[in-house]
Amino acid sequence: MNIRKAIPILLLAFGSLALSACSGRAGIVNTWAGLSADGERAYLASGSHVYAADAQTGKEVWRYPAETDNNLIFFANPAISDDGQLIIGSEGNNHKLVSLDPQTGKENWANPFTAAKGKWVAAPLIYDGTIYAPNSDGYLYFLDLKGVPVADPIKLGGSLWSTPATDGTHLYVASLDHNLHIVDIASKKSVGVVDLGGAATSSPVVGEGGVYVGSFSANVEEILPNGDHKILATASNWIWGTPALENGVLYYADIGGSLYALDLASGKQLWSDVKPDGAVVANPLVADGAIYFVTESGTILALDSDASTRWSKESGGKIYTTPVLSNGTILVAPYQADFALAAYDADGKQIWTFAPAK
Amino acid sequence: MWETLIIQPMVNLLLWIYDVLGHGPQMFGLAIILFTIIIRLITWPLNASQVKGAQAMQELQNDKDWQAIQKKYAKDREKLAQEQMRVYKEKGINPLASCLPTVIQFPIIIGLYQSIIRAMAVTPLDMLNLARSIYPFQHVTNIIPLNSSFLWMDLGRPEGIPLPFDISFLPNGFPLLAIIVALTTYVQTKLTMPATPPNPEDKASAQTAAMTGGMAVYMPLMLGWFALNFASGIAVYFIVSNLLGIVQYAATGRANWHNLLPGKKKTAATKK
Repeated sequence: MNIRKAIPILLLAFGSLALSACSGRAGIVNTWAGLSADGERAYLASGSHVYAADAQTGKEVWRYPAETDNNLIFFANPAISDDGQLIIGSEGNNHKLVSLDPQTGKENWANPFTAAKGKWVAAPLIYDGTIYAPNSDGYLYFLDLKGVPVADPIKLGGSLWSTPATDGTHLYVASLDHNLHIVDIASKKSVGVVDLGGAATSSPVVGEGGVYVGSFSANVEEILPNGDHKILATASNWIWGTPALENGVLYYADIGGSLYALDLASGKQLWSDVKPDGAVVANPLVADGAIYFVTESGTILALDSDASTRWSKESGGKIYTTPVLSNGTILVAPYQADFALAAYDADGKQIWTFAPAK
Repeated sequence: MWETLIIQPMVNLLLWIYDVLGHGPQMFGLAIILFTIIIRLITWPLNASQVKGAQAMQELQNDKDWQAIQKKYAKDREKLAQEQMRVYKEKGINPLASCLPTVIQFPIIIGLYQSIIRAMAVTPLDMLNLARSIYPFQHVTNIIPLNSSFLWMDLGRPEGIPLPFDISFLPNGFPLLAIIVALTTYVQTKLTMPATPPNPEDKASAQTAAMTGGMAVYMPLMLGWFALNFASGIAVYFIVSNLLGIVQYAATGRANWHNLLPGKKKTAATKK
């Protein structure tokens, strides 16, 4: 081929590649994986597949779908129901919400739920036989455990990127529209809206005194079911992850990399200037008296309640996904690492890693 | 360096415009339009230099001295190259003047595209990267995430007007914006094509004409495909950028409007 004729084709090919690469639609999903686990398996939602790995050995048990489907992209945390379903939504073109059999990876429902118009970023809340599924189209969908709508969805506004929380009477749904929406479970209607002053990607956490939530306003707020709210503390940067509540202490972090422990009774910060090595996006995990934080720099940090370090490990990748607990092991899903999932024991010793076979 | 010099300033400019406009519905679309205009104005001298260089090269094709050396040294490429360089020097023409600005602009176009994608933050990682891009003096927490609704579109998603029936290859509906992108790209490319046919004895000129002709086909198809499959905010950028390019070229008086009609013979430009 004449070189001059080849120039436009080469330019266009380069342009296509450059634009595709920076748009995140070149076949690789440009965000971090979702993760959940039960006593037997870890479930990793990563790109084209949901993987089940044996919790003891890290061996792949199944993947869904068996063959790559370009319409399916997963990164929401899979939700596990009491009746043994694994429910997860796709970011792909058809915005499919599916129920999988955790043992086999086969679909449970006769038809997947496809009425949502946006991608599924958050895991649904499964409570008392109903699936409360927040979608980035701003709607909260109500389904039974067979995937059939039980009520009309309600438009809450913005994009819903976090799992709702419930106190048994109300649902608390944080939105990127800067609001926390309060929904009455019985009527399935919105009964209140609280302005958080910034987008909220984290789920609220329900405590005895109320509901606690962080947002991009950097504030941690306490909200009562009647909508009354007050700022409890202000971080130095956006709060991305869901706070963890343990023994009256609220543990949270910001994307500037600072870690906080707020005593709810006294309103005092128990830690000062605890800042490991990078942004913290994932929720903290509290297990066996330790508080686990993971950082963007790839560090897994186990702290005691006085902020002293029990152990610290480098994962070899960036960590944004919230770690989960399975039979006493800590499961961590690093982004852009040699492996997609790793298990650590309570002393920080790596037990296994899992990398999906091509 | 790419992040610091290109992406961050562009993202912050885009956010600033959006904030100044009032950050409500429709405003992100308007911000993209204003942003594109500002970037086009900044790169106006580069574009003007490109147009000027292309015109000089075009005029050279009709120069008698140029045509004579093409004929005389048709079989001696080395001598032909020497003579061509002599003519360039005598006439004060820089043969790279028309393509160098394009090369310089290419990173700007990619950066512009990346900035819009970054600002729209459609995935959690995009949102985190957006947080990192914001300058400390910008107090924009209250405007994030950007409201991406504009006219009938969600600028963060591919555009399409819903159809009463399903077409498998058009999952988003009728792709109006993609068609406008392809059309405006076609118009812009055609307008800038040489007004006169290439001298058949000048092989280089003929090859350049073939290359430009190829661009007139590939570019609309490629950009139309992008508009069909990617966030519609990018399609808005392409359309505004194309329209400004057409205006800029028309302002030089060299736009060859006859080129737009298929089957029309190439004629002289509207003004020389």
